[in-house]
Amino acid sequence: MLLFNNYYVGGAITLDYFKKIFKESVIVVLISSVMGLFSGTILSNNERVLASFPIILLVLPSLNSLIGDISTVLVSRLTSHLYIGTLSPKIQVSDRLKQDFYGLLITILLSLAALISLGYILGSVSGIQIVNPLLITSIFIITIMILFGLMFVFLFMGSILIFRKGKDPNNFLIPMVTSLADFLTPLFIIIFIQIFV
Amino acid sequence: MEARDTKGRIVKETFPSEMVSIVGDLFAGIVLSLLIVSFKSFLLLILIIPALLSLRGNLSGPFIARTSRDFIIGEFNKKSWFENVLATLFLSLLTALAIGVFSIFINFLLIRLYIFHIGLLIVIPVVSITLTLAISIPCSTFLNFLAFRRGLDPNNIVNPVMTAIDDFFTVICFYLTIIMLGVP
Repeated sequence: MLLFNNYYVGGAITLDYFKKIFKESVIVVLISSVMGLFSGTILSNNERVLASFPIILLVLPSLNSLIGDISTVLVSRLTSHLYIGTLSPKIQVSDRLKQDFYGLLITILLSLAALISLGYILGSVSGIQIVNPLLITSIFIITIMILFGLMFVFLFMGSILIFRKGKDPNNFLIPMVTSLADFLTPLFIIIFIQIFV
Repeated sequence: MEARDTKGRIVKETFPSEMVSIVGDLFAGIVLSLLIVSFKSFLLLILIIPALLSLRGNLSGPFIARTSRDFIIGEFNKKSWFENVLATLFLSLLTALAIGVFSIFINFLLIRLYIFHIGLLIVIPVVSITLTLAISIPCSTFLNFLAFRRGLDPNNIVNPVMTAIDDFFTVICFYLTIIMLGVP
C-alpha cells in the first residue's frame, strides 16, 4: 500500500508520468516494431548475396546492435545533458557535443575492430567460408562510419527539436533509431556488395 | 557530470559495455541458430524473431534511458519507476499484438504456411515479450542503480550491457514459449 500512497491526489489516482510516456511512445513504438518485420523481408529477398558471403550473416546481429547501442547511448546522453542544462537546446557545435562525438567515434571504431576480429575467429572455428576478407572488412567499416555520421547529425538535431517542444527525446528517438539501424545496416551492406563485387 | 564527462570517460565506460554486448549478441546468434532452425515452422518463426529482437530498442532501451535520466536528475523514486514499468508493460502488450497481427498478414500475403493455428502468431509474441521483460526490467533497474551508486554514468554502461542480456533472453524466452505452446 505504501507504494501507492504517492498516487492519491484528492482521492483520485494520478498517473501523469505513465500517460506522458505512453502518449509520446505509442505510435513510434508500433511503427518501429512493424519495421522489424520488414528487416527480415529485406534479408530473405537478398538471400543469394548473403549466401555468397556467409560471414555477413554471422556478424550482422552484432553490427546492428553496435550501431543501435551507440545511437542509444548518444540519445540517452544528449537527453540527460539537455535536462540538467549542460547542453544548450540550440543546433550549434559546442565543446560538449565534440566530446560526445569523438568519444563515441573512438568507441565505435574500437568495438568494430573487436567485432570483426571475433567474427573472423568464430567463422574460422565454426568452418564458415571466408571470402575476400579485406573487401568485406572495408564494407563493414564504410557502412558503420556512414551510419554513425548520419545518426549523429539526425539524433542531435532530433533531440534538440523534440526537447524544445517539451517532450522527452528518449521516448521518440530510441525506438526509431534502433529499427532504423536494423533496417539500414543490412541494406547498406547489400548495396555496397552489389557496387564493389 | 559536465566536468568529468570527457571523451576519454565515454570510451572507458562504453567500450567494455559494448564488448559485453558484442559477445552476447554473437552468443545469442549461435543459440538462435542451434535451437530454432530445427523447428518445422522455422519459416514462420524467423518472421517474428527480428521484430522480437527489436524489443531491446523499442521497449527496453527507452525504459533504461528514462531510468538513467531519473537517477541523474534526482527524480528517481517508487512512483516514477512504477509508472515507467507500467507504461513499458502496456506498450509491450500493444507491440506484441501488432507483431502478431502483421505476421498473420505477411504470412497470408507472402509465405502462406499454415502449419499451426494462426492465432498462435499473436500468442507467441505476447508470452515471449512478457517473459523477457520480467527478466529485463528488474535487471536493468538494478544495473542503473549500481552504476549510479558507483559514480559511473548509467547512460554509457547500462544500455549496451542490457542489449546482450535482452537479446539472449529474448531468444531463450522465445524458445521456451514455442515449446510451452507446442509449436511444431
